[in-house]
Amino acid sequence: MTATDPDVRIPDPIELDELEEERLRAAAGLGPRRVAGDGAGPAARPEYAGFDQVGLPDRPPQTEREQRLFTLNEGEMLLNMGPQHPSTHGVMRLLVKVRGEVITDLDVVLGYLHRGIEKLCENATYTTVLTYVDPMDYMSAMHNEHAPAIAFEKLYGIEVPRRAEYIRALVVELNRVFSHGLMMGFLALDMGGLTPILYGFINRDETVELLAAISGQRMLFNFFRVGGVNWDVNDEFINRLSRWRSNVEKTIGDNELLLTQNEIFTGRTKGLGVLTARDAISLGVSGPNLRASGVPFDVRKAHPYSIYDELEFDVITQPQGDSYARYMQRVAEIKQSIHLIDQIVDKMPHGPVQAQVPGIIRPRPGRAYAAIESPRGLYSVYAISDGGPNPYRFRMRDPSYITLQVMPKLMPGHLIADTMAVMASLDPIMGGVDK
Amino acid sequence: MDLDLLLGVGRFVLATTLLLLLTVPTAFIIIYLELKVIALMQLRIGPNRVGPYGVFQSAIHGFKVLAKEDFTPDNADRPIFTMAPWMVFMAAAMSMLVIPFAPGLVALDSEISVIYFFAIIGLSVVGLLVAGWASYNKYSLLGGLRSAAQMVSYEIPLTLSIVGVVILTGTLSFTEIIAWQHAHGWAILWQWIGLPVFFIASTAEINRTPFDMVEADSEIVAGFATEYSGMRFGFFFFAEYVSLFIMSAILVTLFFGGWLAPWPFPAQLSGFGGMIYGLFWFLLKTYFFVFVSIWARATLPRVRVDQLMGMAWKVLLPLALVNLFVTAIVVLVFGL
Repeated sequence: MTATDPDVRIPDPIELDELEEERLRAAAGLGPRRVAGDGAGPAARPEYAGFDQVGLPDRPPQTEREQRLFTLNEGEMLLNMGPQHPSTHGVMRLLVKVRGEVITDLDVVLGYLHRGIEKLCENATYTTVLTYVDPMDYMSAMHNEHAPAIAFEKLYGIEVPRRAEYIRALVVELNRVFSHGLMMGFLALDMGGLTPILYGFINRDETVELLAAISGQRMLFNFFRVGGVNWDVNDEFINRLSRWRSNVEKTIGDNELLLTQNEIFTGRTKGLGVLTARDAISLGVSGPNLRASGVPFDVRKAHPYSIYDELEFDVITQPQGDSYARYMQRVAEIKQSIHLIDQIVDKMPHGPVQAQVPGIIRPRPGRAYAAIESPRGLYSVYAISDGGPNPYRFRMRDPSYITLQVMPKLMPGHLIADTMAVMASLDPIMGGVDK
Repeated sequence: MDLDLLLGVGRFVLATTLLLLLTVPTAFIIIYLELKVIALMQLRIGPNRVGPYGVFQSAIHGFKVLAKEDFTPDNADRPIFTMAPWMVFMAAAMSMLVIPFAPGLVALDSEISVIYFFAIIGLSVVGLLVAGWASYNKYSLLGGLRSAAQMVSYEIPLTLSIVGVVILTGTLSFTEIIAWQHAHGWAILWQWIGLPVFFIASTAEINRTPFDMVEADSEIVAGFATEYSGMRFGFFFFAEYVSLFIMSAILVTLFFGGWLAPWPFPAQLSGFGGMIYGLFWFLLKTYFFVFVSIWARATLPRVRVDQLMGMAWKVLLPLALVNLFVTAIVVLVFGL
């Protein structure tokens, strides 16, 4: 047999895939694949000719959930929102089953921004891990560094200087302010309001310039070190901080004027996407989204880390659990963070900002867990050391990832337009979801 | 007889050509205004590179659109896909025929120009609907169907809200409505329920924020225009801004005295001077309402589809009917 033998066809790779697909379909007890116009499935109905072909994936369903999602009932169609879509917060893909404009089912497809950060971290030394975690949740890079820093300090048994702890708390609260401020803008943008996002960015720009003054970078700060922080506060930081403090309430207030009492905004967010406290807890939601459902859980209060047990603050909650409550929760937390920043600046002690740590850290074999309250919820790190210079296992729990799984629960029954209003109010950051 | 007909046809062709040409600077001016005004409201600088203060930015946008690839999706219904932008644009351009710009400056001074206007401007919904259908894209389809639902719903309060003015003035001709307002004062003095109904319904009718459901970019990408590119998209884009101008112009004509100055001085300019004077006031008032629309776009988020429809049927329609009956009774009793 030669390749030129006319009687013997060598199947090309695409054809092989189809054969494999037929085998999988047969094994799963499914019929042959539906092709538009072949008389099977919704394609036979002329009014949907072509459209089911566009929506259905060209492979057999692999789980029960997929099979349920991909089975179209009368009058339904699948709509792909993303990964290229104006408001999917990066590269999220929502697979939406709609009847007219009403959503009947929804699934979140992830993985378009996966960079393998956990594995990268396992191949890095304990010091360089802190540079890799920055671009995960890029809206809260300071928090991303905070959790591994605490975990590695627990592993190695280092006491962090008091001044370093205060500077850490200061920068993470600053980060929380601009993250929540931008969420207000994103929520408005996803509902067609153009201006709040730009006001949010004015606030963000002032804050990242402030953080750049202390860390040297605007977005991926690389500021934390195992055993302390990279730099002490400098004059420029202090000048900018006082200027920022006098402006921040105004820039946040501008956005509040545009949104909080806005008839259209409240009409679109109140009573929308109600997440009950029971659902929120059972789905593992944390952070502002959980507190907006009325559950008073804040890692800073429940399991105090850093210096939060020395600061005065209350856990804010909202009873309603809808999109508007999640928005109001963020607004309240911005004010709370500003209040915390005032306290931290007042109490800031003198002293070193970095403990004595060797160049290459080799902790004793063991494991450590650290959880912090990031702007999106409980962000935690679990690190295992085998005595070498790299973490043996490095696991990060990103709150956005957990939060996204409430979408299929919240959305059915709402309209397509509400998808974005609910998703933006949950405030997921895809860099953190896909890691 | 033959000469009259020939002159009439010649006048019509000339007027239509001039109005078609007028759409270009109108759209350019409004696009520039929108870019600049929203930028200033958002504490940005806005266009400032092309020409002084960036005034040629919208012209550059126009050339960019011309130079882009004109792409047709494989499965699109080609003839309809090609024709849809033309239908939308022509509906907007042809309705400009009856707009009275100044004394003597109106292309078609018909006795039923109000009916003509609402008949022609309503045609654009057909263009949007077939654009959404012919694109072979789900977002386009949703956008097209939204446009059908929205524009058909809002035609009703829109048309009812001006019946008050028509009863008040007793005419269906825009120029005579202005003449009535010249004698009795602006119609807004009597039609202060009609004005908000007309303004909201016209904003919805031309798909402006906060009622831009049809091309809601954060929900359905670009709605009916998702698959359009190049000059075909340009026509949609142009039509949108020309419609904004037209609706503001009609609002000014119906409620704010058209080309009349806010005070009766100089009382009666005639000839070319009167034309320029009238054109000045007409454009000033019209661009003020264009500005209001841009202002709304910078300030307000978008309403939801069901809220939009609810508003048309539950709020605007009853208001328009109340306005209609009250006006009718007042006119009957006091005989204005």
